[in-house]
Amino acid sequence: MSEQLTLYLHKIQLALAEANAPYKAYQVDLRNKPEWFTSKVNPVGQVPVLTYGGPNVNPDDPSSLSAKIAESNVILEFLADLYPDSGLLPKDPVLRAKVRFFIDATIKHIEGTYLAFVQGNESFDNVLKAIEFIQELLEEGSDFAVGEHYTIADACISPHLARLKIVTETGIGNFPAGMGYKLGEELEGLKFAKFRKYAQRMLGRPGFKQIHDEEAVIGYFKRRFTNRIQ
Amino acid sequence: MSEQLTLYFHKISPFSQKVELALIEANAPYSAYQVDFRNKPEWFTSKVNRVGQVPAVTYGGPNVNPDDPSPLSTKIAESNVILEFLADLYPDSGLLPKDPVLRAKVRFFINAITRHVEGTYFDFLRGNESLDNALKAIEFIQELLEEGSDFAIGNHYTIADACISPHLARLKIVTETDMGNFPVGTGYKLGEELKGPKFAKFKKYAERILDRPSFKKIYDEEIIIGYFKRIFTDRVQ
Repeated sequence: MSEQLTLYLHKIQLALAEANAPYKAYQVDLRNKPEWFTSKVNPVGQVPVLTYGGPNVNPDDPSSLSAKIAESNVILEFLADLYPDSGLLPKDPVLRAKVRFFIDATIKHIEGTYLAFVQGNESFDNVLKAIEFIQELLEEGSDFAVGEHYTIADACISPHLARLKIVTETGIGNFPAGMGYKLGEELEGLKFAKFRKYAQRMLGRPGFKQIHDEEAVIGYFKRRFTNRIQ
Repeated sequence: MSEQLTLYFHKISPFSQKVELALIEANAPYSAYQVDFRNKPEWFTSKVNRVGQVPAVTYGGPNVNPDDPSPLSTKIAESNVILEFLADLYPDSGLLPKDPVLRAKVRFFINAITRHVEGTYFDFLRGNESLDNALKAIEFIQELLEEGSDFAIGNHYTIADACISPHLARLKIVTETDMGNFPVGTGYKLGEELKGPKFAKFKKYAERILDRPSFKKIYDEEIIIGYFKRIFTDRVQ
C-alpha cells in the first residue's frame, strides 16, 4: 500500500488494537489494483476499506453479502458502534461530542493546514496556530485527548503525530529548507509542552509501536517530497 | 430530566440550518437565538464559541436568557458534531439508525457532503472549480441515494438529510438565478444538466426533502437571495 495511505490505515488498526477486536487484514497493491477489489469491495478503489459480515471467505475473494465501509473516520465510528463497551467512544453524549470535535479539529488543522504546510502550500505561522488549536483541546496532564480512556480521537491523531516527529527531526518536506527543523524547535518550547507530552505518550503506546515503521515512512517522505518551494 | 438546549444560529447559514432541521425532526425542545453578524456581541465569542461562528449550542446548566449564557453549560460547536450530539440525546428519534452498518452509511453520506458539496461545489460557486467537477461531485452524492426513497439513507429522516437539505435549497437558487462567482450562464447550465435524465434520482430526492414541513418552517428564500446578491460580486471571466 502507498505509504501515504498507511496513515489512514493506522488510525483504524490502532482503534482495533485498543478495542481488542479480531480482524483480518489484506494489503492491496494500489499500483496494480486487483479487479475484484474495485468491482466488489470499493468502486472508488480507496483504502482503507472494511468488509463486515457475510460468509467467512478469503480476503481476496470478497462476498457480495458483506457490507463495505470506506473512509477512515467513518470506520472509526463504526468500530465504536460495534464495540460500545471498549471505550473507543464514551457513553456520555457531551464527552462523545468532545471526541468528535477533536476529530473535526484534527481533520481541519492537521489533515488540512499541517499537511498543506508539508506540501509547501501553507505558512509556518498558520501551522503553529493549527497545532495550538489542537493543544487547547487537550486536558492538562491527561493520558488521552478526551476523558479517561483511549478513544477514536487518539487513534485519529496518532499517525499524524508520528509523521510530524519525522518532519521535525529530518527536515523533509516541500516547505522551504530549514522550516521543518524550525517547527521542531518551536514545539520543543514551553508554549507547546502540553502538546509535546501528549504526543510522546501516544507514540509510546505498545499498540502504536507495533504498527509504526519509521524507516518505511522516512523512505516514503524522501521519495514524495522532492519539490521544495523557495 | 430535560436539560436546556439553546441554539445560536443565523438564517443565512446553511450550517446552522442543518441543526435547526434535526431539532425539529426530532421534536426536541430548544431555545433559539439569531446572532447578528454585522454587530457580533462580545459575549458570543467569549462565552459561547471562541471561533465566533454559528451554529453553536449551549447544553445544560441553569435556564438563562440566550444572551446571558451561563459558564455552567456545555458549549458545543461545529454543525456535524452537533448533529451527532442530537442523535445521541435522542436515540429513538431516528436521527441515526440503530444498526451499525446503516449508521456507517449515514456517516459516509455526511462525509461525502463535506468533501463534494462543502468542498468541490462551494469552490465552483467561488469561481475556483469547473462545472464538470461540480457535476461529478453531485453525481457522487446521487450514487449514494437509494432509488425512490424519501430519505438519503434507510426509512427515516436522518442527520444525513438534515446535513444536505440547506445546500440543496441554495443549489436551487443558483440554478434559477445564475448567482455565483462562476462565469456568466454557468449556473443556468448547471440547472439544465440537473434537469436531465442522468440526474433524475438526485432531483427527485431534492424536491421531496425540500418539501418537508420542517424545511419550510425555517427557510426564507428571499433572505438567501439577498445574501447571495451581496456576496457574489466577483465573477471569474
